[in-house]
Amino acid sequence: MKSNLVRVMAGNIFVLSQDNGDIEASVANPCGFFDFDTRFLSRWRLSLNGERLNPLSIAERGYFALRFFLVPGEPTHYVDAKASVIRERSITGGAFEERLTVFNHDREPVEFTVRLDVESDFLPILAVGEERKPVGRLYRRVDAGCLRLGYRREKFHRETVISTDEPAAVTEDGLTYTVRVQANGEWTTTVRVRALVLRPDGRDVREQLVRRPRRTIAEQRDDLARWLSRAPQLSCDWDAVTTTYQRSLVDLAALRYSPLTLPDEAMPAAGLPWAATVTGRDSILTSFQALPVAPELAVATLRMLGIDQGSVLDDFRDEEPGKILREFRYGELAAFEECPESPYYGSADVTPLYVVLLDEYERWTGDADLVREFEDEARAALNWIDEYGDILGDGYVRYRRRNERTGRENQGWKDTAEAICYADGRLPEPPRATCELQGYAYDAKLRGARLAREFWGDPAYADRLEREAAALRERFERDFWIADRGYYALALDADGRQVDALASNMGHLLWSGIVDASRAALVAEHLLGPRLFSGWGVRTLAEGQAPYNPLGYHLGAVWPFDNALIAWGLRRYGFAEEAGRIAEGIIDAAHYFQGRMPEALAGYPRELTRFPVRYPTANSPQALATGATFLLLRALLGLEPAGEHLVMAPRVPARFGRVELLDVRGRWGRIDVIGSGLAHVDRG
Amino acid sequence: MSDPIGAFFDRLADGGYARLLRKTGGTVRFELTGDDGLDLWHLTIVDGRVAVSREARDADAVIHTDRAFFVRMVLGEAKPLPAWLRNDITSEGQFRFIVLLERLFAAPPGARHPRAVAGDRRELA
Repeated sequence: MKSNLVRVMAGNIFVLSQDNGDIEASVANPCGFFDFDTRFLSRWRLSLNGERLNPLSIAERGYFALRFFLVPGEPTHYVDAKASVIRERSITGGAFEERLTVFNHDREPVEFTVRLDVESDFLPILAVGEERKPVGRLYRRVDAGCLRLGYRREKFHRETVISTDEPAAVTEDGLTYTVRVQANGEWTTTVRVRALVLRPDGRDVREQLVRRPRRTIAEQRDDLARWLSRAPQLSCDWDAVTTTYQRSLVDLAALRYSPLTLPDEAMPAAGLPWAATVTGRDSILTSFQALPVAPELAVATLRMLGIDQGSVLDDFRDEEPGKILREFRYGELAAFEECPESPYYGSADVTPLYVVLLDEYERWTGDADLVREFEDEARAALNWIDEYGDILGDGYVRYRRRNERTGRENQGWKDTAEAICYADGRLPEPPRATCELQGYAYDAKLRGARLAREFWGDPAYADRLEREAAALRERFERDFWIADRGYYALALDADGRQVDALASNMGHLLWSGIVDASRAALVAEHLLGPRLFSGWGVRTLAEGQAPYNPLGYHLGAVWPFDNALIAWGLRRYGFAEEAGRIAEGIIDAAHYFQGRMPEALAGYPRELTRFPVRYPTANSPQALATGATFLLLRALLGLEPAGEHLVMAPRVPARFGRVELLDVRGRWGRIDVIGSGLAHVDRG
Repeated sequence: MSDPIGAFFDRLADGGYARLLRKTGGTVRFELTGDDGLDLWHLTIVDGRVAVSREARDADAVIHTDRAFFVRMVLGEAKPLPAWLRNDITSEGQFRFIVLLERLFAAPPGARHPRAVAGDRRELA
């Protein structure tokens, strides 16, 4: 999918277009006006006197407003247009608005024909990259000066309503204005496009639900300013760090998403624009990473995912009692169960991570009430690990989809079909027990034990969880360690054999704390060694493994969030210098993209490309990558809540110079953290 | 069962709602249409305990569907969330009560425990 399209967005409403503002959607060019996981406009093409327009420049105001400066005709070295157009686009009050202004630069009055070609295919968002024939019926009609485009399938009904405040000839395929503009004068109109999700009685389903009114542009701007002023203030001698931090804060703000279930709170969406929805893994890990800057995201995430926690066995959704969901979608495919995202539960990592987030949130904020409130959900999640996650009854969390048609084969964060492989490229038979799942389960049990003892008044349960964690660790060290290679197996296959690929997954083991201290140095050596470390960061799969490909999404690319968890894990085991190298590499790479943390980088050796090569993914910003900035900073500064205090142990590479993070919020109130690059210490 | 809807609400009134979270609270009105008119049922949930009433009262959410479709949900054959997305059920008020329905109805028939499929080698990698 193209990632160079221009866009405005608010929650799961967004407009993606070419750089002149036009939308001409196709399989290869997935642009449009989207809302509620549906495309409501697939054509939106402006012309002036029959001529297409070309951009002179584009100005962005936040992520919710855009302004295109356009001239008619083909671009030439010398623009000498007698007319120009400004196209101001925004998402305001939940609708897509475009204000068109035509300027006549001539010394005579001129008659203009301003034309907007309009069409919609109402494709579900999950299908815009493929050929799909509509199952239902498309219609279009002109009604009281408005153009209505619609789609019906049984009782499912979507409609786009286009209206304008200046007289126009409205037909079923667009709007035409015929206007006379005075010499050096201008003409303006506002076109409003509403996306309706209709019930059989003609009302919008969302208007019948209790929710906050959609925010206007001014409210969105004020909200962003408040968000930025609440976050800790960072200053650093290396401007790559401050640029990346500022960009990440703005991106995290843009990613905030209020689902219908939780209209007054915001959790992180997985990515924009394509994944503005409720997800499990991305929301939990992003909330975890963002605890030092925005702990409230964790509350919304825990609440939303708790409400949706699995409660029955359901093969189509790969649901089990206590399981935390993978993803929810509102579109036609989910509605008619052509895909299982209503919601889909096919991920084995999210449920233990739910407990990890709950515990870490309390450690930062001291919010004991929340831990008590979520006791049932956390117990159900802990129960899931043994009752449903341990598929073979051998004490390991494994996964195997029961939905073999549309379910996920791999159910960890590396969820592409070939991501979990032997070093020679063969694929292990399911059920698969990947190593990081065992780490998450171990960590969840220990954290669950703390919560049970300190908040739930259940020391017997705490003891049991700790015994189980200790047994899991012992078993894990015995079965996963590949002694002659000095690293942990990526997974165990269905027969308990080691899946021997060298991969980044074992870095997460350091984060979870399951690694025996005597083996941590070997793990660190592999992670920072030439096969895994590209110079920018740790690759998902090591060079030399048969399926390694620098452009392999999970088979060679470098993911900033993966690296942030690894850096934090290294720090946990005392490898501060190694953590610093990773943080430096990843932030250096982000600097090439104006501080926007890319979802993934190609795994090429740094000395080969010299510039970081961004993996061509669809979402930007992506939540996990955005959150990585904050966890990398935490790793550099060695921030760890301990009782009522925040322990700080800055270990900053020389390149960073002085680093100050002021007003870090937590149970300690607000505190300033100051670290200095080693070189500065030496000089000082 | 001659009246699966009545039996469903009786079961709830008798404590058959083990999957509800203890902290759940609120009132839901079900408006079920049939050939002979509209049936009203109210569920009032306090601290995760359910009381059933047929008398009109204020509700935090109202759910509309026809009786035949409601029976399909009761039996676990149709899921409330995709049904809401398709407009097979419609609602007013707080959306979280649609999600709550998932915890009231039967599990889908024929669903398997992950351990029951574990030894099955049909899906070869």
